[in-house]
Amino acid sequence: MDLYVAALGFGLISVSVIAIAAVGFTMQFGITNMINLSYGEVMMVSGYAAFYVNQAGVNIWVALIPGALVGAVLSFLLNRFLYAPFQRKGTNHIGMVIVSLAASLMIANLMLPIVGYYTSSYVVDQGPLLRANGLVLTTAQIAIIAVAVILMLAIHGLLRYTRLGKAMRATAANPTLARNCGIPTQRVIDVVWLITGALCGVAGVVAGMNSENFSVSSGAAYLIPIIAAAVLGGAGQPYGAMIGALIIGIVTELSAAAIAPEYKEVVAFGMLVLVMVLRPQGLLAKRGAMAAAG
Amino acid sequence: MNSYYAATLLVYAGVDIIACIALNLQFGISGIVNFSFIIFQAVGAYAAAVLSMPPDTANGGYQVYVGGFQLPFPLPWIGGALAGGLLAIPVGLVVLRKLRTDYQAIALLVLSVIANSVITNARPFLNGAAGIAQVPGPFSDQIDPLTQSYQLLYVGLTLPCVLLVWLVASRIVNSPYGRSLRAMRDHEVAASALGKNPVRMKMTIFIVGGIIGGLSGAILVGYIAVWAPSEWLYPETIILFAAVIVGGRANNVGAILGALLVPVGFEEVTRLIPGTIAGWVPPPNLIPAMQWVAIGLLIIGFLWFRPQGVRPEPRRVFEGSPDAEEVDRVRTA
Repeated sequence: MDLYVAALGFGLISVSVIAIAAVGFTMQFGITNMINLSYGEVMMVSGYAAFYVNQAGVNIWVALIPGALVGAVLSFLLNRFLYAPFQRKGTNHIGMVIVSLAASLMIANLMLPIVGYYTSSYVVDQGPLLRANGLVLTTAQIAIIAVAVILMLAIHGLLRYTRLGKAMRATAANPTLARNCGIPTQRVIDVVWLITGALCGVAGVVAGMNSENFSVSSGAAYLIPIIAAAVLGGAGQPYGAMIGALIIGIVTELSAAAIAPEYKEVVAFGMLVLVMVLRPQGLLAKRGAMAAAG
Repeated sequence: MNSYYAATLLVYAGVDIIACIALNLQFGISGIVNFSFIIFQAVGAYAAAVLSMPPDTANGGYQVYVGGFQLPFPLPWIGGALAGGLLAIPVGLVVLRKLRTDYQAIALLVLSVIANSVITNARPFLNGAAGIAQVPGPFSDQIDPLTQSYQLLYVGLTLPCVLLVWLVASRIVNSPYGRSLRAMRDHEVAASALGKNPVRMKMTIFIVGGIIGGLSGAILVGYIAVWAPSEWLYPETIILFAAVIVGGRANNVGAILGALLVPVGFEEVTRLIPGTIAGWVPPPNLIPAMQWVAIGLLIIGFLWFRPQGVRPEPRRVFEGSPDAEEVDRVRTA
């Protein structure tokens, strides 16, 4: 029994990591109509940026900020100089998926000669252990959960209560109409890539903290539960991605305790397949792209 | 040495051509973005390997695998092809029925990553990450595989397979069935309105592609004699996509051209890069990494500047069309 309670603790951290990443991934899809398969690689670039800052003796929590910045700038540039031109050219959905996959291959292999093949890990001060009912978490792990909660609330606030959020939702629902109503959709999309890129960067760093070590090839492995969570919640739905992350994170960690940790991703994939077969539109049925929950 | 090199090149070219034709049937002709194509090659290779090898206790038991049937030559290749087709059935049933094409692509990509990690972790099944070694090639018990005549024999066995695959693919592309496939690719709703069942057509071509992919794996494993998860990581599929995009989507000649230009050509060109450039020794992994970057650039460059590829899809016009001028114009073009 204790094993499962401990697994639940790990699950909560997984949920936090996946939620941060999946919300960014799903917003890219919902607002800019782009399934960005290079997301995992951008996470790794940010993770390594934070790694070098961390190696220079800076606390990893401070290094989170350059990590987020690198993710934001890289995502913005990717969209500005690669995705947006292809989209303007009228490349179809599938063409865009192939372009993003090619981009992911390029980013990963440009990184390899720089960071090397060996695995790396952060210097993290785990802090004192906190216990409650068999649930054991380090202070650093609690901090990851806190970061996730703060970011989710911030995204909620952004989408729900600001003019920018309203403009984002309008752009998601109908870009042409939004533009005709005077919304500078181009600028909105730029901001979306900056924000989702920052989420991606933060996710890359916390994912690195959550794993014992990471390497360039971790990007593909990180991406699987993220895609599963985003699809489970309904692609393009930030709130759906949060729910999806909650389910995927908990279930994969419990299954790691019940079966074997090597098959965590297999379980995530199995859930992805189940959702795709039984409810392809995801848990939150689409009521207009990016409709606010409730 | 040179005849070995030529034989190796020819066998690799044959395998890549077969794979590219299969992928072209799926991606070019039918619009199925099969990002997990490489797992069909892999399953064909594993099947052919365990069908042709002795039981795993035979070689001192340093590797473990299921099967070990020691079947004589054509059977492992046929078995490899069948395995590819059999794998396509459950995968197709899950992926091709309800999903939008972009979801399909992602599900297949994820499947490819997952399948590789499962085979790597489940060692008793197919010897895990180390993979299977000492796979006997066809007739290797009668002719020493290290002789030149064996190399020649292998080329001789590969060539008819390439021709057979080419014939089958041409028949499919030029038949009324091929026309239905293209109609489905270009406008699925219109094709179903005319009574074509898109799910059924996709399933069929997915299985056909799986069989051909499995055959390519069987041929490859008989030649290189080893097969491990590192041989079929998902980027290998992207190379084949690059080949089909560069050669020309929906054009079988283009697929062959792409196979010769991208997987074969790239390997050979990078061989020519000297070990030291003006006294500077590049790190050992730099060149393979840059090769991948070049593949990515190639895909993006072609999609931007020449999305139809080197050999574009031939335009087909119905001869009885009232617009006879259009027919003539296309003819002469």
